[in-house]
Formats: sequence, C-alpha cells, structure tokens
Amino acid sequence: MTHTLHRRGNRESLNEDYIVFTMSAKGFNEEGSAKKMKEFFEILLKHHPINCGDMVTGNRYVKSQEEITQNIQNTSIIHGVFSDAKQVVQMLKDLTEADLGMSIVVTGIHDETEKCCQKSGILKHTVEHSLGIFGQLKKLPSDEVLQLTTMCGHGMVPGNLVERIIIEIKRGEKNFREGALELTRPCHCGIYNPVRAEHLLKRLVPLMTLDA
Amino acid sequence: MLGGIMHFERNRKNPTRIYSEIDEDECVECSVCLRSGCCPTEALYQPELVWPRIVRKNFSDPLRIHPETRIPGRGTEEMKTNEVTGRYRRGTYGMAFELGRPGVGARFHDVERVARALATLDVVFEENNPVTKLMVDRKKGLINPEVLNEKVLSAIVEFLLPAEKLPQVLEMVDHVSQEINTVFSGDIISRIGVDGSVPYVDEILKRNRYLSINGKSNVGLGRPLAEV
Repeated sequence: MTHTLHRRGNRESLNEDYIVFTMSAKGFNEEGSAKKMKEFFEILLKHHPINCGDMVTGNRYVKSQEEITQNIQNTSIIHGVFSDAKQVVQMLKDLTEADLGMSIVVTGIHDETEKCCQKSGILKHTVEHSLGIFGQLKKLPSDEVLQLTTMCGHGMVPGNLVERIIIEIKRGEKNFREGALELTRPCHCGIYNPVRAEHLLKRLVPLMTLDA
Repeated sequence: MLGGIMHFERNRKNPTRIYSEIDEDECVECSVCLRSGCCPTEALYQPELVWPRIVRKNFSDPLRIHPETRIPGRGTEEMKTNEVTGRYRRGTYGMAFELGRPGVGARFHDVERVARALATLDVVFEENNPVTKLMVDRKKGLINPEVLNEKVLSAIVEFLLPAEKLPQVLEMVDHVSQEINTVFSGDIISRIGVDGSVPYVDEILKRNRYLSINGKSNVGLGRPLAEV
C-alpha cells in the first residue's frame, strides 16, 4: 500500500500538499493501538487539517468526526492533510512529545519534509520515492488530469469524474470549491487535498474546451 | 460507472427506454459507484462474490481488509512501519511495482509477467504482501492460474534486493514494461544512510531516470525499535 506516494505535480503545486498519518505494525504493536491512534487523531484535529479520515471508516467530507473517532480500530490508518509545512512542524513536535510509540509517516516534497523533521528535532528513518509510470502510457489521461486523480492513491477519483467536474464548472453548475470537494469525497482515506484540487481546477478549467 | 466501464443498452420490451449496464468483465469491484450514490434510480447493488472473482474486491476496494495480511487498501505496510518491523535494512532496497496504477487497472496475467521477469534476478518477494500470497511458485514468480484473468484496480509486486542489484532491476523493468497491456507505478525504499543520505538517489539520477521530488518519510517514532 503506497497510497500517498505517486502524487504528481510541480514544486509550486506540491508545496501545498503534505500528509501525516499513522498505523500499527501487525504482529509488533497492533494490540492496544486503537487507543493510541485515537490520541493521534485528537492531536491531528488540533492542527486543523484540510482533510482527514480513517481508512476503516471514511473521510471527513463523508463521515462525521464523531463517527471516525468512535470507529478507530487496531487496523485503522489515520490520515491528515495540510497545505502548509509549518503545520506539519507543529504536528510533529506534538507527536514527539506525546510519544505514542506508533509509526508516523510524512508525505510531501522530500527536502521540505526534511526541514520539518529538523525543526521538530527528529530524524527520518526510512524514505520512499516514486520512480514514475511505466508501460502503456497511451492508456493514461493528460498529466493535468493525473495531478488531480493521483491525490487518491487507491484510484477512487477517476479521470472521467475530473472531466465531468470540469464540464460542470464550465457550465456554471458548480464553482471551483464545489468541484474540488466533489473530487475529495470518493477518496475514502481522507488523503485527497481539496485546497490543491481547487487551485489545479482554476488552472485547468480555462484550458479545456467542450466539443458538445 | 465512475471509471467509465458503463455503456448504454436499449430496453427490448420498451425500445423508447435506455438503461446503463456495467461491463462485469471490466469491473474491478472497487464499489466506488455504490458509495457515491451516483445512480438516480438506486439500481446499483453488490452481487455476491465468490472465488476467484472475490480477488477483485480484495485488491480494488480500499475498505476491504486483506484476509492474508489484515491490512486494508493494497494490503502491505511496506516502509510505513519499518522502524518497528525492520523490513528494510541498510544495504537492502525495497522496491514495488504497482500494476494498473494510476487508474488503468490490471489483470493478474500482467502482474505475473512482471513477477516472472523479476524472479529471474533472484529478488525476494515480500512475504506480507497479498500478491506474494497468491504465488504458487515464488522462485519463478508464478501466480495461481485460477486468478490470472481477474482484473483489479491495482496490485503491488513487492520485493527486496541487495543494493548492488538495482541497475539490473531497472534494466529488467524497462524491458518487461513493453510486454504488458497496462501501466504500473514504480517506487523504491531505503533505510536512511548513517550519514543521513538516501543511498539510491545518485544511482538513479546518474542514469537520467525519473525520481520524484516528493514521497514518503517514516520519521522513526514507532516502538519497539527494530535493529536496522
């Protein structure tokens, strides 16, 4: 599961896209981890993420905060999305102080997350990079659309939905914010970034033409 | 439906009516259409799934917890808990090729093609990974023939390799990527070096290959700590 990897975009765009999440290690610290992940979720909410959720329950645009909290289990994976690296620094400081003993992963531009770690007084342990996309590239939508779809690593936001949202915005049936939120909802885990999606739509919609 | 696997049919009894039909051979059972509530007549339902079709749901619906690994999503912890599990130690890289991602989907015969190619390099397929669990011969990368025609949104071939084998794997992946009928996303994982560097970066960049500016970092707060 590499659900927060492979997010595509340039530095400017990715610089408003950070995710912090936690999960238990099965067979190592799984037992009793639900309680610790609830603490993680409480800390997360203090920092006002722009999206959050639990893989077991759903994201905040589909489920209530109470539902997400009450349903946290040992198999949960809790995520929070931030558009500003400064929030990540504060979040990491709080997590270090809380000493939950749970694995914490930060996704974002590597040199920026390195700065976040340094400012929080922690060292990265293990890192992962994307090597890109291989194979029959002709089957892919445009890179502009991919920037919107790859923010859901489980593929729950298809290119067809992006195209429909673009059409609805062009017709004046939705504004950019509403379009971004509609793309955010199907991403069950809560790792989709609605702020970045809105900015990408603002750039993309004027470039697209309708042929019908 | 959201993924474009729907087409229109005309009602035979009442030709003035048309309806939508899902192409079940292309459907990966991700259930995103059900959860979205996109059908105005509430005609969508989840049929009962039996082996081998149930594999589609296990790999494609992120709400589904893989029975073999007890992890939702694509069913592997990979580097996310490495400070605890010790899966990736210094001198060893983790790599993964996620067939079907982004958004295209893959059949297991393409997954097997990639696994078989990698097996010739004697890589070690990750034990706690649902694709590995479907292999009937891990030395050869052979997958249970009963599932080969099943289509999933994505499936991860995950393996460990000694750092010095990276050039061979990159060459192999370029070759096999031309033999499959889908796309895949590749990634690489390493324990941070003792000097704070990421060991594979120079090796990748000197070959003028793509390496993302963004990615995941495990910040080492999990306990108990493994010796890595």
